[in-house]
Amino acid sequence: MTDMIKIEDLSKKFGDTEVLKGLNGSVSKGQVICVIGPSGGGKSTFLRCLNLLEKPTSGKVTFESNELTALNETQLNELREKMGMVFQSFNLFANMTVIENVKLALVKVKNMSDDEANKLALSLLDQVGLQEKADAYPASLSGGQQQRVAIARALAMNPDVMLFDEPTSALDPEMVGEVLKVMQDLANDGMTMVVVTHEMGFAKNVADQVWFMDGGVFAEKGTPEQIFEHPKNDRTKDFLAKILEA
Amino acid sequence: MKKFFVWLSLVLGLIVTLAGISAQPAQAADNSLARVKEKGTLVMGTSPDYPPYEFLVNRNGKERVVGMDVDIAKKIAKDLGVKLVIKQMSFDSLLVALETNKVDMVVSGMSPTPAREKSVDFSKVYYKGGQSILINKTDKGLYHDKNSFINKAVGAQTGSIQYSLGKKQIKNSTVKGLDKISDLILALKSHKVEGVIMEKPSAQAYVDNDKSLTMINGNFNLGKGENDTAIGFRKGSTSLVNEVNKSVDQIDKQDLTKDYLKDAGSYMKTNTHNTTMWHYAGYFAKGVGYTLLITVISVFFGILLGIIFALMRLSKNKLLHGLGVAYIEFVRGTPLMIQVMFVYFGIGLFINIPALTSGIIAVSLNSAAYVAEIIRGGINSVAKGQTEAARSLGLSNTQTFRSVVFPQALKNIWPALGNEFVSLIKESSIVSIIGVTDLIYQLKAVQTATYKGVAPIIVAMILYFIMTFSLSKVLNHYERSMRHD
Ligand SMILES: Nc1ncnc2c1ncn2[C@@H]1O[C@H](COP(=O)(O)OP(=O)(O)O)[C@@H](O)[C@H]1O
Ligand SMILES: [Mg+2]
Repeated sequence: MTDMIKIEDLSKKFGDTEVLKGLNGSVSKGQVICVIGPSGGGKSTFLRCLNLLEKPTSGKVTFESNELTALNETQLNELREKMGMVFQSFNLFANMTVIENVKLALVKVKNMSDDEANKLALSLLDQVGLQEKADAYPASLSGGQQQRVAIARALAMNPDVMLFDEPTSALDPEMVGEVLKVMQDLANDGMTMVVVTHEMGFAKNVADQVWFMDGGVFAEKGTPEQIFEHPKNDRTKDFLAKILEA
Repeated sequence: MKKFFVWLSLVLGLIVTLAGISAQPAQAADNSLARVKEKGTLVMGTSPDYPPYEFLVNRNGKERVVGMDVDIAKKIAKDLGVKLVIKQMSFDSLLVALETNKVDMVVSGMSPTPAREKSVDFSKVYYKGGQSILINKTDKGLYHDKNSFINKAVGAQTGSIQYSLGKKQIKNSTVKGLDKISDLILALKSHKVEGVIMEKPSAQAYVDNDKSLTMINGNFNLGKGENDTAIGFRKGSTSLVNEVNKSVDQIDKQDLTKDYLKDAGSYMKTNTHNTTMWHYAGYFAKGVGYTLLITVISVFFGILLGIIFALMRLSKNKLLHGLGVAYIEFVRGTPLMIQVMFVYFGIGLFINIPALTSGIIAVSLNSAAYVAEIIRGGINSVAKGQTEAARSLGLSNTQTFRSVVFPQALKNIWPALGNEFVSLIKESSIVSIIGVTDLIYQLKAVQTATYKGVAPIIVAMILYFIMTFSLSKVLNHYERSMRHD
C-alpha cells in the first residue's frame, strides 16, 4: 500500500522556539489518524504544515508523490484543493451566505458554472443536514451548524484527505454530537482523515491509528487499543489520566 | 529601530528628489514679446477683490472680472493684437504664478517696490494713488492718521505694500494680514481690527458702497514706488515690457485712467443694485458644482490609489513596503494646502496643469494616503482564519483578497471611509487658493461683489451642510445593506 501523506524529519521553528522537532509518519489511503495530546504540544502546527499553511523550517511533506515543501505557490494552490481543512473556529466567510461559502472555490478554483456549483452545493448541504439554511448568513447559525457547513465547504472540492483541527472544541456540548456524526459518516465512506481532537470516544471508535503528541514530538503511536488500554509512555499515561478525570 | 531608519531615509530621498526638480530652470533668452504674439493670448493674473482696480460683477448670474486694471489690460492686448485672458487667484499667488509661467503679466493694483523689483520687471507707472485707512464711521474722530493706531490692531491684505507699511510705520501695532479684502472689512466691522490700510481709490469704493464705513488719509512716508501702481512681468521680459510701455504712455497722455475709473464706478453701482443672495444663486450653484466635482473625482482616485498604497505598505517586498510607508507618511505629514500649491506651481514648472486639474490631483493624492491607512486597518481587522480557510480551499492570494478579505474589510471600514469622504467635501475648499472656483471661492466672490460679509457665509455654510448631510445619509444606507448579522 502506498502512502498518501509521508512526513519526514519535519521541524518547525517560530523564531528561536522549536515547536516541531523532527516528526515522522505516514498516512495511507482510507486511514483515519487521530492526533491527541496536551495543548501547546504542536498539534495544530503539525496539521497546518501538512497543507503548508505553515511553512516547515526543515524536513519533507510528500502528498500523493508530490514533495509539497519544494513547490511554488501556484502548484501548492492546486494541491491544497485535494486537502480539505476544517478549523476549530469554523472560519466561514462572514460576507457570504451558506451556499455562497460552499460554492466559492467551486466557481473560482474549479471554474464550475454557477448552475452546476449550486446543484453540488445543495447536495452537500443536504448531506450535512442544512439544505434549508442555504441562504442564511453564518452569523445566524449555531456553532454546530457552522461547523457542518465548513465540512460541506471542504468536501465540495472533492478532496482526497480531510484535515480536522479540534473541530468540536469551540462547540457547546449539545452540538458536539451532530458534528462527530458527520465525521463518522465520512470515515465510514472511506475518507482519509487526520483529526486533531480531544474527543477520546471518537478516537477510540473511529481511528485506525492514534498519535500522541507532546513537546513537539510524537511520544507514542499505536492503535486505539494500544494507546488507550496499554499506553507505554509515561507522558501518555499522565495525559490520559487527566483527560479521563475531567 | 532599523526599520525606522530605512523609511526615514526613503522619506528624505523623496524630499531630495522633490527639491531637485524644483530647482529653477535657467533664465532663457528674452523671447517674451515673441512668445505672447505667437500664442495670440496675453494672460493677466489678478486678484479681483480690490475695487475699483479689479472686482467681480454679476451679469445674469454669471460673474465677470471688471475694473480699471481690466480696462488697462484690454487696451494693452488690443495694442499688441492678441486676445486677453484673465486668470483669477489670490494676491499672494500672483508672483508665483508669474514666475511659473501661469500668467504673462500681473495687473492687480500692484506697487513697484524695490523689493518686488528684485524678482519682477515692472512697466511704467500707470496710476498714482495714495494710502488711506478705512475705519468704522462710528469711530470717526477717534482716528486721524497712521499715528492714531499706535498699540492698536490694523488689517491689510497679506503680501501687500499696505501690510508692510503697517508693520514698519505704526509703532507697536498688530498688523493682521488676510487674503481677501472682504474678510478684512468683516474684521473691521467686528472690531478685530480698528482700521484697514488700503489704496485710496479702493477705500473710496468701499466708503461709497457701505454707509457704515469712512476713510482717513494714512500719512504714510511713502518710499519709491509705494504710491504707484504698475504692471508686473517675469524677470527678463524686456521686449514685452518695452512694448507695453508704449500703451502705458498713451494711457498717461490721454489720461485714460479717469475714464476707466468712471467705468468701474458704474459697474460698482449696478453691482450693489441687487445684493440679495438669490440674485447670486448662479455663483453659489457654480461653487457647489465645482466642490462636488472635485470631491467625486478625488474620492474615486483616493480609493483606487488608497488600495494600491495600502497593499504596498502591507507587502512583504521591502521596496514596495518602503515606498508605501514613505508616501503615506510624507503626505500625511504635510498640509494639503502646501500640496495643492506644490502641484500647481511646483510641478507646473514642467508641465502646465490647469488649476482645477491641479486641485483634483492634489486632493486625490492627499486622500489616497488617508484612505490607504483606513484600508490597511480594515484589512488587518479581518480575522486571519478567513484567509486560511480560503487558502486551504485552493484559492490564490489574489482571489482570497478579492472575494474574502476585501469585502469584509470594506464593511469594517465603511464608517471611517464615509467620514473621509464627508471631510473631503469640506477640505477640498483649500483649492480656492489657486483660483479654482469652488464654493469657498464663490463665497468670497459674492462677498466682494455685494459688499456683504455675513449673508454669503451663511448661505455657503448651509450649502456645505446640505452636501455633507446628504452624503452621510447615502453612506448610512449602504452601511445598513452591508450588515449580515
Ligand atoms: N504563529 C506562531 N508564532 C509563534 N508561536 C506559535 C505560533 N503558532 C503556534 N505557536 C506556538 O507553538 C506552540 C504549539 O502550538 P500549537 O501547534 O497551536 O499547539 P496545539 O495545537 O497542540 O495546542 C505553542 O507554544 C504556541 O504558542
Ligand atoms: Mg491547537
